[in-house]
Amino acid sequence: MQLIRKLIWINGLLLCTVAVMAQNNGRERTSVASDTSQVFKIKKLAESDASILFSYYEQDGANAAVTGGRGTEQLTDLTSKIIVNLALDEKNTISFDGGFDYYTSASTDNIDAFVSSASSKDLRVHGNIGYSRKAKNGWTWGLKAGGSSEYDYNSLQFSAYVGKTSKDGNRTFGLSGQAFIDRWSLIYPAELRGQNWVRTDQRRSYSFSASFSQVINKRMQMSITADMVTQSGLLGTPFHRVYFQDQAEARVENLPFNRLKIPVGIRFNYYVSDMLLIRSYYRYYWDDWGIQGHTASIELPIKINRFFSVYPYYRYHTQSGSTFFKPFGEHTTDVRYYTSDYDLANLSSHDIGGGIRYSPADGIGGLRLPGKKNRLLLLKEISLRYGHYTRTPSLKSNIISFGMNFSF
Amino acid sequence: MKKKKTLIGLLAVLMAIFSMSSCASVQGYQKMYLNDQEMELSARSLEYFCTNFQSYREGASGANGGKVGGGCGCN
Repeated sequence: MQLIRKLIWINGLLLCTVAVMAQNNGRERTSVASDTSQVFKIKKLAESDASILFSYYEQDGANAAVTGGRGTEQLTDLTSKIIVNLALDEKNTISFDGGFDYYTSASTDNIDAFVSSASSKDLRVHGNIGYSRKAKNGWTWGLKAGGSSEYDYNSLQFSAYVGKTSKDGNRTFGLSGQAFIDRWSLIYPAELRGQNWVRTDQRRSYSFSASFSQVINKRMQMSITADMVTQSGLLGTPFHRVYFQDQAEARVENLPFNRLKIPVGIRFNYYVSDMLLIRSYYRYYWDDWGIQGHTASIELPIKINRFFSVYPYYRYHTQSGSTFFKPFGEHTTDVRYYTSDYDLANLSSHDIGGGIRYSPADGIGGLRLPGKKNRLLLLKEISLRYGHYTRTPSLKSNIISFGMNFSF
Repeated sequence: MKKKKTLIGLLAVLMAIFSMSSCASVQGYQKMYLNDQEMELSARSLEYFCTNFQSYREGASGANGGKVGGGCGCN
């Protein structure tokens, strides 16, 4: 109950942040307007925006990695996130995003085999602050820093981006880099404590990404994104058990110190008619742990009228299993690396659902903010999305998300 | 060897797409359809949560604006 009260407080604070930022932004613009009136120049006012998102997720399955690849995977997660893009002027933007996940997990309850552990309910908070600038000749660049914290995992994140848009605006090329400096609090399963199972509690992840987008004609455009991700450190999870065929006692999951991942994704969007659009996506994935994956999704937005649209979607994913994966009790003790985490298994998944979006041209409603200029905080769009997900052999989940977009 | 061949094949396809010269030059005033919000070449903001859970539930991740392995206890 206390935790729920805390969550309500956090949400309230986030909403207040948007309101305060909106007011400050109004002041900034006032000064720009008075400056420009002196030199008789007309300056276009840049619009700021904010999004507030919520989701509720639940899942269940029978292959929890905490209990060695069998046992309940029941989990619920309540999430909220806020994203604010504050335009200082036409060229400079400051962005902020933050939020929390409040989750309950039956499988983490089983870290302590018979006693409910503190980790079965937990809160993860995260936040980022960024700056981006539109430079000359179609160049843009940006920087971002942030972090996240939960009971057994803390992370610091830094990223940088540079992009170039062609003169006619028909193609864009971008490069970005991300670094994550993460640290685990080592929590082993109850019966395996008293011994050091891992070499380090650190994890480093570096990601380099190149993207290219191209307008094909008046109704079609596509983009390609290629990532290269290199990770090192503790890449397993210290409270995942593994059971063997030639030993009664479990061990803690053991995975290599390094991992290289290369995903390449292609998006293709087609405005078929005033009623129907096609949004499609395909990703090929490869990593040096033996996983190769293919993911494809299609979304069909149907415009009921100019402001209201519905979109059914379907996503399919298939992957080959990691060489380090085996189900419960099938590993032998002579192998160096072992896991019974089904995320790394040979699997396929289906995700089917739909969403609605309501976005009238004049907005849904507004609120005059106090201040000299009485800026208008305008609710521009509301959207709702539901998805049902199944993954072999046993996992099923449902997610419902709700979002509101504002401008100010 | 098979992996290498797949990667080389994929790179060849990408190179071919990059070098496509058949794309029409579309002027700003002709971008009525392309500027529609539904035509954005990125995941919807509400997809953020789904993408996040999928990165936990599947070994494959990335190239979609979601998590790539850092910042959480996921893969």
